[in-house]
Amino acid sequence: MLARRVLNRPRSLASPSSWAASARTVTACDVIVVGGGHAGTEAAAAATRVGAETLLVTQKIQTIGALSCNPSLGGVGKGQLVREVDALDGLMGRAGDWAGVHFSILNRSKGPAVWGPRAQLDRPRYRQFIQAELLSMPRLTVVEGSVEELLVSEPDPEKPGKHRVTGVRMADTGRIILARSVVLTTGTFLSGSLFMGQTTSPGGRMGDPPSGSGLSRSLKEVLGLRLGRLRTGTPPRIFKRSVDLSLAQLQLPDQRPTPFSFISNGTHCKPEEQLPCYLINTTPGVERVVRESLHLNSHIQQDTRGPRYCPSIESRVLRFPGRQHQVWLEPEGLTSDLLYPQGLSMTMPPDLQVRLLREIPALRKAEIQAPGYGVQYDFVCPTQLFPSLEVRSAQGLFLAGQINGTTGYEEAAAQGVWAGVSAGRRALSLPPLSLSRTQSYIGVLIDDLVGRGITEPYRMFTSRAEFRTSLRPDNADLRLTLKGYCDIGCVSPRRYEEAVRMKAGLSEALSALQDITLSPTRWREKLPQAAVSANKSGIMSAEEVLQYKDVSFEMLASAFPDVLGPYVEFAERLKIEAMYRPHCEKQRREIERILQEESLSLPQDVDYLSLPVSLSQEVRELLDRVRPATLGAASRLPGMTPAAILHLLNYITRTPQRDRSAERSSTPDPQNLSDESRDSFPCVPVSQ
Amino acid sequence: MFFFYIYNRSRASHRLWSSAPLCATDTIFALSSGQGKCGVAVVRVSGPASALALRGLTGPDRPPAPRTAALRSIFHPQSKEILDRGLVFWFPGPHSFTGEDSAEFHVHGGPAVVSGVLDALGSLPGLRPAEAGEFTRRAFHAGKLGLTEVEGLGDLIHAETEAQRRQALRQMAGDLAQLYRDWSQRLTQCLAHVEAFIDFGEDDLIEDGVLDQVDNSVAQLQTEITCHLHDGRKGERLRSGVQVVIAGETNAGKSSLLNLLCRRPAAIVSPIAGTTRDVVETCLDIGGFPVLLSDTAGLRETADAVEQEGVRRAREKVEQADLTLVVVDATQLPTDPLQVPVFLGAHLLAVLPHGVGLEESLRHCILVLNKSDLLPVEQVEKTQTFLNKNPGLPPASLLSCHTSHGLENFMTSLQSRLSSLCGDPLAGTPSLTQARHRAHLHECFQALGQYQQYRDVDLALAAEGVRLALTGLGRITGKVGAEEILDIIFRDFCIGK
Repeated sequence: MLARRVLNRPRSLASPSSWAASARTVTACDVIVVGGGHAGTEAAAAATRVGAETLLVTQKIQTIGALSCNPSLGGVGKGQLVREVDALDGLMGRAGDWAGVHFSILNRSKGPAVWGPRAQLDRPRYRQFIQAELLSMPRLTVVEGSVEELLVSEPDPEKPGKHRVTGVRMADTGRIILARSVVLTTGTFLSGSLFMGQTTSPGGRMGDPPSGSGLSRSLKEVLGLRLGRLRTGTPPRIFKRSVDLSLAQLQLPDQRPTPFSFISNGTHCKPEEQLPCYLINTTPGVERVVRESLHLNSHIQQDTRGPRYCPSIESRVLRFPGRQHQVWLEPEGLTSDLLYPQGLSMTMPPDLQVRLLREIPALRKAEIQAPGYGVQYDFVCPTQLFPSLEVRSAQGLFLAGQINGTTGYEEAAAQGVWAGVSAGRRALSLPPLSLSRTQSYIGVLIDDLVGRGITEPYRMFTSRAEFRTSLRPDNADLRLTLKGYCDIGCVSPRRYEEAVRMKAGLSEALSALQDITLSPTRWREKLPQAAVSANKSGIMSAEEVLQYKDVSFEMLASAFPDVLGPYVEFAERLKIEAMYRPHCEKQRREIERILQEESLSLPQDVDYLSLPVSLSQEVRELLDRVRPATLGAASRLPGMTPAAILHLLNYITRTPQRDRSAERSSTPDPQNLSDESRDSFPCVPVSQ
Repeated sequence: MFFFYIYNRSRASHRLWSSAPLCATDTIFALSSGQGKCGVAVVRVSGPASALALRGLTGPDRPPAPRTAALRSIFHPQSKEILDRGLVFWFPGPHSFTGEDSAEFHVHGGPAVVSGVLDALGSLPGLRPAEAGEFTRRAFHAGKLGLTEVEGLGDLIHAETEAQRRQALRQMAGDLAQLYRDWSQRLTQCLAHVEAFIDFGEDDLIEDGVLDQVDNSVAQLQTEITCHLHDGRKGERLRSGVQVVIAGETNAGKSSLLNLLCRRPAAIVSPIAGTTRDVVETCLDIGGFPVLLSDTAGLRETADAVEQEGVRRAREKVEQADLTLVVVDATQLPTDPLQVPVFLGAHLLAVLPHGVGLEESLRHCILVLNKSDLLPVEQVEKTQTFLNKNPGLPPASLLSCHTSHGLENFMTSLQSRLSSLCGDPLAGTPSLTQARHRAHLHECFQALGQYQQYRDVDLALAAEGVRLALTGLGRITGKVGAEEILDIIFRDFCIGK
């Protein structure tokens, strides 16, 4: 099926030539997405789902959906993002289910809120899936080429912003393409340079040509955006046949693979066909090679900010000397003869890389197919963005992925979906929306980026989400799919109907559980396994009994087959719901308070320095610098005072009705929204 | 065999005396009358558990009719100890100040009674001390305040926050602060280690031993906090009263002013600069208001280690003060009156703390221009007239500690500031701050219980307990953010994947 779709060569595959033929002409579409990585593909797909005619520009169609670094998806925190991207009908979850060759739920013993769905992937399969999806998507055209320049014109004076981006000029042909929205997802290609040993070359990924410097210039010089520089790296790839796997510890996948997607019936890979991973440890010899090669390693000597997690083996042994460090050997795919050594990212000269590897017993005879290398690249300081991921000073320009200073496929995809939704909505004159950090990890990610900015590549951790026990991987559909269909418009009817069915089933089952109430004595007779305490007084509902550690829904269903039997398909989710519901109830109050403050948008064109409101100079300067989008964002700023928040609240309440109308418009109804009322607000929060 | 299904849907919750719909908010309480010489103190409660509070403190019988005073014995709900006999009021929502169910306790104004009632309320489930301005804020959200009233609200909240901040600073200056900070650091470390285990435990070398350490720390903290809570009021002795601090350059006559105000030589005065090296404190009654007056070392750069410490203490004192009397040697005043504001401005800048914003400090300050007896009479008059109409400066009095000339004028100015300070219910009421601390510590203690309850069942819920505990403690010691937790994680563990 998949193969057929690729072979069919839908219209977009034929496009490049027709585009080339009509070079130097001016064409127009709703949304242009630049870049075909995880952010770009999700952005393009999301924009088309919203209903926009979209054009995806990428250097090579062949590398769309390529996994440039690790052959894996998900994990703790990142798995939550995959589930949310999927709940908004993105590609990543389904692609993972198609391409996965080793599925496991991390943190299985630590509570469902922090479970981390994860999979090792087959690289070609992942690429094929993404390409097949995109190339057959209605309203989407894919074109090969690179963008030389952003077209910039005078801003719409009714809206905030100094410039308006109206399209792009292509590098090779000089063709001009006009669009209402442009999404940049250039990854590490923005002024990227590659490092290995003492040699440096321009580029964003080994094997791909560097991007022109035009885009960087457009952003920095024409739009005046503040850029920063970050670094990352990738390990060498090792031939599997050269590794003595008998010296490594075997890591098996889950026997029953759990799919990422809410609408996948299972994984493509059969449970028994899954591949294992291997665990090995570094030796003192590894540390020695690192120290001896430091003078030949210019990447590690640079002071550009690298991440504190996922660091290179060089920084690991330098920061924590004298220890064993873990290295995971991961399969690159079903047919691949390579292993990916997770944890051995390095930038020393290739001959020394081989020497380092061979210090580890299992790798004593290791041969490498490609050496590791480092990348340094520009990013745009993300505090210059609205929560819709639109650049504050450039109307119509959206950014997603590593260009915003994040790291990781999942973080990129999450932003891609939201930038695509926002760009599409803008092109269709729908009001911009924002996701709250109280309702999704995507909201946490974007709020952290645009509210606080970054000092190192940003990666998602569950500890970043205050309401972690409410934002669970199991309930991403209830949190996002319904809104995704009704308010955002990025979810297909099929997925929506499934979510509605799920929601109804769960709530019926929960009421059935609440309606079964017995005395503790009766529970002990009925369900001896539950070990209900004899000292307990009053009556207990089945929901309370389900909260007991050793009680499963299946046990209750076999005790009450008539009432609970119909809901056995929801067993796992019901157990989780029952466990977490009392805690989520407690959190709800705090969440409501935050949402109330977030629903109060602060006008973006206001001059805080002269606002006729009693605010101290310090607070004025803080507000002027950060320009929070909502009262909620303002109250989270360090240095904000309760009194200042109240004065702002009072100011908003007194501001004439023109600004208030936008707040009510969380259900998209463009006809009722004059441009004026819409644009004094950067984003309308998605309703609860 | 028969099974009985009891449908608990029908168990509608009966709420005694109430008409307002249940809303999911906390119930808050605070002392809402001022301190000073007052016969009656008013403690206000607002929120859904108000009825519970009223029942808890006055017994289940004879609920008062809405909006009618009723005389009741008020007792502690746990110890059943009678605290006072006073008037109680019941205001069912929405016909109350905040629009919520509210209650008021009008009790005798002594500090023991007031802190007893606050303690009793804090011991009830669902009740907590109000944050600054919370009553008014609730009233605002309920639409109970007109726009003009709201105008002043921000300033009110600002004042309350400031008063609380100063009160907290005073308490945080002692051993108690050291204790809370130590708890906070240990708790932060615990949370960081649990979070590290959750976020990185699967891939990196973070052993289960990490959690065992956390278990021990949590148990230890629980014990220490319980002991502290039971030890309660024996802990730190808190002095109530408006804190008035005399500050200024050396030899301006600060100690003379103290002696003049307390009509006895409490401090040694001499013409030698740097005579006072430590803080001299004395309790006074000025116009009926309780005042804790402190004289401080003159502020100057000095090489003398003892005097340096005195200057440091003086600055600390000024930062904690409700009111600062900035004493200036009037003989140093420029003869041209137009130069006077610049001169005095520079003086104020040198004395007042800059941390909170100068505007705020200026509002809590009186300028005292001493040694007027050494000036020619016409200059005294000219300067006084000039000062009276210069609104850019805080209130200023020209006086002579030597002859007491101008004292009456100064006392009027001082008393008017004191009366506005004492009218502010939150300024300098240690019992309220103490009740707040106890409530937050209790919160912290209970949350640690959640950690232990879920430790082996669900680590996410257990970690939530540590987070809540840190939030509770953070309300006393200052917030700990996600980034600080991550800092500790990356400092203590090698995260490589």
